[in-house]
Amino acid sequence: MYYLGIDIGSLSCDSVLINDDETVLATSVVPTGARNKESIARATEETLRAASIEKKDVKAIVSTGYGRDRVEDRLSSVTEITCHARGIRAMLPDTRVLIDIGGQDSKSILLGEDGKVVDFAMNDKCAAGTGRFLEAMARALQVDIDEMGELDANAQGGLSISSICTVFAESEVVSLIADGTQVSEIVRGINNSIAFRTLSLVKRVAMKPDGFAIAMSGGVARNTGVVSAISAALGDINVSVPELPDTIGALGAALIAREKSA
Amino acid sequence: MMKEYFEELENGLQTAIDNNQGSIRMLYSLEIARLGKRLYSGEDKVAWCGIIAPFDLLSALDVTSCFVEFIGAMMAATNVAGDLIEETNHIGYSSDSCSYHRAVMGATMKELMPKPELLIGTTCPCSGGLAVIENLAAHFEKSFYLLQIPQDQAPKNVRYLADQMREMVSFVTKITGIPMDTEKVKFAMETSNKIREVLIEIFNLAKQVPSPVTGKDLSNFGIVMALFSGTESGLALAEAFRDELKQRSQNLTASGSNEKFRLLWIQNRIQFKNPIEKLLEDQYGAKIVIDELNDVTWGAVDPDDPYEGLASRAISIPFNGPAQNRVQHLQRLAEEYQVHGAINPCNWGCRQGTGSRGLIEASLKEIGVPVLNLEVDCIDHKKFTEGQFRTRVEAFMEMMDS
Amino acid sequence: MEQKKLIGYACAYTPLALIHAAGFTPYRILPDKDCPDQAGLILHDNLCPHVKRILDRAMDNQLPDLDGMVFMNSCDSMRRLADAWQQARPDIKMTLVDLPITSSDRDCAFFQGELQELSSTLEEWKGETLTPERLTGSIQIYNSLAENLEKLNTELQRGSTYNGAGLLQSTCLKASCTAPEEMVAEVESLIGSAGEEQQKDNSVPIYLFGNVLPDAEAFKMFAECGAGIVRDDLCTGSRLFAEVATRAEGLDDLLLDYAAGILNRQPCARTIVEAQPGKLAKDVIAGAKQYQVKGVIGYSLKFCDPYIARLPGIRAALKAEGIPFLMLEGDCTNRSIGQQKTRIEAFIEMLR
Repeated sequence: MYYLGIDIGSLSCDSVLINDDETVLATSVVPTGARNKESIARATEETLRAASIEKKDVKAIVSTGYGRDRVEDRLSSVTEITCHARGIRAMLPDTRVLIDIGGQDSKSILLGEDGKVVDFAMNDKCAAGTGRFLEAMARALQVDIDEMGELDANAQGGLSISSICTVFAESEVVSLIADGTQVSEIVRGINNSIAFRTLSLVKRVAMKPDGFAIAMSGGVARNTGVVSAISAALGDINVSVPELPDTIGALGAALIAREKSA
Repeated sequence: MMKEYFEELENGLQTAIDNNQGSIRMLYSLEIARLGKRLYSGEDKVAWCGIIAPFDLLSALDVTSCFVEFIGAMMAATNVAGDLIEETNHIGYSSDSCSYHRAVMGATMKELMPKPELLIGTTCPCSGGLAVIENLAAHFEKSFYLLQIPQDQAPKNVRYLADQMREMVSFVTKITGIPMDTEKVKFAMETSNKIREVLIEIFNLAKQVPSPVTGKDLSNFGIVMALFSGTESGLALAEAFRDELKQRSQNLTASGSNEKFRLLWIQNRIQFKNPIEKLLEDQYGAKIVIDELNDVTWGAVDPDDPYEGLASRAISIPFNGPAQNRVQHLQRLAEEYQVHGAINPCNWGCRQGTGSRGLIEASLKEIGVPVLNLEVDCIDHKKFTEGQFRTRVEAFMEMMDS
Repeated sequence: MEQKKLIGYACAYTPLALIHAAGFTPYRILPDKDCPDQAGLILHDNLCPHVKRILDRAMDNQLPDLDGMVFMNSCDSMRRLADAWQQARPDIKMTLVDLPITSSDRDCAFFQGELQELSSTLEEWKGETLTPERLTGSIQIYNSLAENLEKLNTELQRGSTYNGAGLLQSTCLKASCTAPEEMVAEVESLIGSAGEEQQKDNSVPIYLFGNVLPDAEAFKMFAECGAGIVRDDLCTGSRLFAEVATRAEGLDDLLLDYAAGILNRQPCARTIVEAQPGKLAKDVIAGAKQYQVKGVIGYSLKFCDPYIARLPGIRAALKAEGIPFLMLEGDCTNRSIGQQKTRIEAFIEMLR
């Protein structure tokens, strides 16, 4: 039998199909459009097609993410906090602190030794440091969001976005552009600023994170600049990124689907 | 407009209660409607106050008194707060500040705030609230008296506040032209003491496992009951709550309960219509059994010489003084009510309520009570994003349920 | 010279002379160090940046050796700072002094009691026993300092020294962390040299009010934009040093005079005069008129409730008087004020 996990986030809709052995058979990531039902259908279709499985063979679907209640034929819906924790446990079993920078929300999750969520913290409404913030910054800089990792690698460093408030940070970026500061340096500054926000989220669940294995999931984890900035902010602690970090939430949902329908 | 609203509300509730369809919560709403009607009647001598003003003493002086945040909450409950808050943007009132107070200032600008005879500010719970009282005094060109609440119960502190309350009485009687009737004051204090006893009974009932309260029953209860203190209708209302909970408690023991999780709510509830209590109860069997302000932290007041007692009561409010007071108070409630978790709405812009977020969270975790920090605006429904809200609440419950 | 022991403080209402009389040097913990932003962990992120930056300094060990910390209960944020301090730095003793909002006789008497308690606390912290002579001496030193700062401002304005406000500001800041005896002499020598620099500039005279702006760069920028700050009313500026008149001789009466002096000085937004609600707006207008400025600039930190609530009234009152007004907001970082350059320039262009 097969189990499908769907994570409908504000920016992307991800799905993962597994079998009874918990082996991942297929994944897909599609942008969440204005109608998330269409994105759900597309992600499901793509995943099933890639695995050459028919929908009737899927025993259970668990949905997660903001659109989790929009998946009609779900067995249940579970929040992305629980799902990311479950997913990372399967990929990187030692993880005790998981960072997920989502489109609307950034979160830090503390896992117990058994992999269960012990505590979590999420961003305040005003805080910079979410995926959407990064997107807005990329737009202000007129660079592709996927280029940002590369740009960061070219930076000398030293520039920091000192403003703590999002509103100030945004206009600070704009004025840096106007001053002719190199884009790569600004990107590094933005990444450092996100790293500081993230650090404070991590500290809210684990005041001294250095003893814990730390991992990062979500689409932003593909941005190497952000990951290395977070790693540096944590005091040069390694931050592991699983394969296909975007699909960790959906993987967790698929695993929960298997457990729940057992 | 507001007067008619409260009149209609009162009539509707009264009809339902007369037809025996009334719940205790309806009796509570009825008292609120009556207070609202009096505030907007244009006939009563109205005093806008800070949250810990001595409402029983003021009512014995024939003043209809109310804290301004009540209006913010009313505007939120009727979904008009968002528009009023937007109104304050036009005068440069920063959106970083508390929405209770911005709603009040918006209502003032829109002439929806009843004109007071006088104002009584209190330095506790917050700098922002006190500033609003000053602003209203300037706007309505009315005199105001300020009660400065010291940090602890040191005798000199109690005396300082008691003397202020004595002076406040002269201030009020001079403005209203109604001399103080000592018998009336004595009766109000005796009634307050009776209400205090009944409140203790109510809170003890709520402590039972399983609890006879539903998540909504005692929402805003403690803070609003202060407005009815010293009055016969306040006493009747408290007694109705006690009797109902007693009754339910007896039935509960016989029939069992689906109570799975018991929660502590920190500070005030979200004041506009929102799905939280229902979500918690229906999906997770979780019930808010105790709110931070649903507690009696003061002793009985001497009816013949109430000032020291009233001063001590005001100082005892856990929002006053060091955050350590609040922390210990919350730890005690968490233990007495045997809660599994706590929710802090962290009302946007509230330096008093959210300012100690980290300290509160750490201290409750210390005794094994996880805390959910919601980061919502409790007044402005326009800022409410249900998706983010649900994710936080559901993730918290999933964590406790696992 | 033997280094005096330091007592930290954070609010302009702190009774500096009393601390000094106990044999300590009051040392203001300014929010001007570059430290990791972590105060939100103990408190909340949406809190006064002044308070958060001070707590960040404490958490990051960026403090001099302090023999204690004196907090004033001046606003919610200061109250919360004192709460957090106990958790962040239990190794540094602290005390909180209650501070009335008004200044009636009863309030002064209450505050006198608070000052008495503070002097006992300072004694427990190995300070000197307070005597009328010591207190009078310290009050006099601080009065001389205030007087000299006032003279310096007058000199700077008379000569229209370029960025005189910046010089005054950095002097005030230095004075807030230095033994007053040293500063009295230093300010005196500055007064002498200020007169020499008679360089005329054509800056536009501006009255600046608000809360915490400890940033010399900000004042440099005001000057560059052509804003000549002829008078400031800031908690990190002139408000910190004001003369206090005392007449009494016995310790109790002297403390009462000193208490009254502190409660009656140039107020910040948290202080109220019951008989004159909205007085802050009137004070700003009076200041603007007294110094014959062309415009008023307000500066407030984000999340400062006392100022946030009063600004609409101040704005309306200035408008009614026909006095041009520019409001700036910041968060205790250099850049947040730097970004406002265009606004300041445009405002000055408008006033020319």
